[in-house]
Amino acid sequence: MERLNLEQLARLVDEPPTPEERAVLEGDPGLRRELDALRSQTEALGNLPAVLPPPGGWHELEKKLMAAGLILGGRSNAHLWRKWLQVAAALVIFVGGTTLGWVTGSAPEGFGGAEVSSEPASYASLEEAMAAVDEAADRYRAAYGGLQQFVSAEGLRGRSRDPAAHIAALETLMAASRAAVEESPGDPFWNDVYVRSLAEHDFTIREVIADWR
Amino acid sequence: MAAEAGLVPTGAVRIHQPCLRAQQPGSGNIEAQLIRRACEGDNRAVRALYDRYSPRVYAVVRRIAGDDDLAEDYAQEAWIRAIRALPTFRGEARFSTWLHRIAVNSALQAVRKEKTRRKREVALPDVIPVPPRIGDTLMQRKLEEALAELPDGMRKVLILHDVEGYTHEEIGAALGVTSGTSKSQLFKARAKMRRMLKGHETRPKEIEAWSV
Repeated sequence: MERLNLEQLARLVDEPPTPEERAVLEGDPGLRRELDALRSQTEALGNLPAVLPPPGGWHELEKKLMAAGLILGGRSNAHLWRKWLQVAAALVIFVGGTTLGWVTGSAPEGFGGAEVSSEPASYASLEEAMAAVDEAADRYRAAYGGLQQFVSAEGLRGRSRDPAAHIAALETLMAASRAAVEESPGDPFWNDVYVRSLAEHDFTIREVIADWR
Repeated sequence: MAAEAGLVPTGAVRIHQPCLRAQQPGSGNIEAQLIRRACEGDNRAVRALYDRYSPRVYAVVRRIAGDDDLAEDYAQEAWIRAIRALPTFRGEARFSTWLHRIAVNSALQAVRKEKTRRKREVALPDVIPVPPRIGDTLMQRKLEEALAELPDGMRKVLILHDVEGYTHEEIGAALGVTSGTSKSQLFKARAKMRRMLKGHETRPKEIEAWSV
C-alpha cells in the first residue's frame, strides 16, 4: 500500500485503520505524528470556547420579542440596574487597580481604590435615580475599556516580562472575576474576564514550561 | 435530533398560550420553572434563559455565519424562533440541546438566504474571514482563522461535527446531504485545516493583517 494522504489520515481520527493502513502507519513515524496532530486539532476544535454576544444584545432582542408578542412588557428595571451598575463599576475599578498594581507596582490613571458598597441608596425622584444609573454606567464603561485592554493577551504580556508576577496578577484577576461571576452568573462582562484570565493563565503556564524545556 | 429542531413553528403571535410543564432530565427544577414562565411570556424568565445560554448560541451561530454583524442578526433570529417554539418543548432532550439545534438550523437557513441575496446583488467571495477577538488565546485564534478560511460547505460540516459534536446523520439532515457526503467533507476539511495550521497554504491578505 502507498503512503497515506492527509484525508485518509483525517478519517483515522474517528475510524480504526484497516490492516493495510495499520501496517503503513507502523512503518512510518512521520505519518503517526501527522495523525497525532490531526487528533490534537480535532480535540482543540471540540474545546473552542463559547463566544460572548456583543453587549446590548438582550435589549435589542427584548424589543423584537415584545413586538412579536412573545413576551409581556416588563416593569422598569431602573432600580435593579442602578445598584448592579454601581457594584459592577466599583468591582471593575477595584480589580483593575489591584491587578495592574501587582504587575507594575503602581495603579494606572483611571483605576482607583474604589470599594464595593452594598448599602442601598435612596433617591428622591425617578430622574435622580436615572441620573445615578447613567453615572454608574459611564464609570462602568470607562473602567471596562481599561480592563478590556489590560486583559487582552498582548496587554498582559506587554506589561510584565516577569512570568511569576504575570501569573500572580492573572490569579488575582481569576479569583476576583470568579467571585463576581458567582455573584452575578449572567453578567457577560465578568464571564468574559473570567474566561480570558483562565485562558491567559493556562497559556502563560504552557509558555513557561516550554521555555524550561 | 436535528429534525426536532427543524420542526420549529414560525406561526402566529403567542401570549399566554398554554405551556407544557417541562420536565428536563438531569436539570434542576429552577430551569424547568424558567422555561414554563418564559413560555408564558415572562420577560425576566426569558432574560434568565438568554443570560445562561446566549454565549453558546452566539458561538455556533457566529462560526457558521463567519461574520460578527451577521452573527448578531442570526442569533437574535434563533432566539425569537426558540421562544416562539417553547410550547413544543417537551423536555425529552435537555433544553440546551434543543435550543442549540434551533440555533444551528436557524443559522444555516439564514446563511443560505444571505448567499442567495448576495448572488443577486454582486459576486462576493464565498468565505468571509472572522477577525480574532481580543483576549483569544493564540491557538484558538489560529483555529478560528483557519475555520473562517475553509470553503463554506467544509466549514459547516467541520463546525457541526468537530466543534458541536453532531453525527454525520444529523449533519446530513441539517444540510440536506447524505451522511457519506458529510464524512467526505469532514475529512477534506480536517486535512485542509491541518495544512493551513502548518502554514502550507497561502492566506488572504486580511488574515495576514490579523496575524500575531
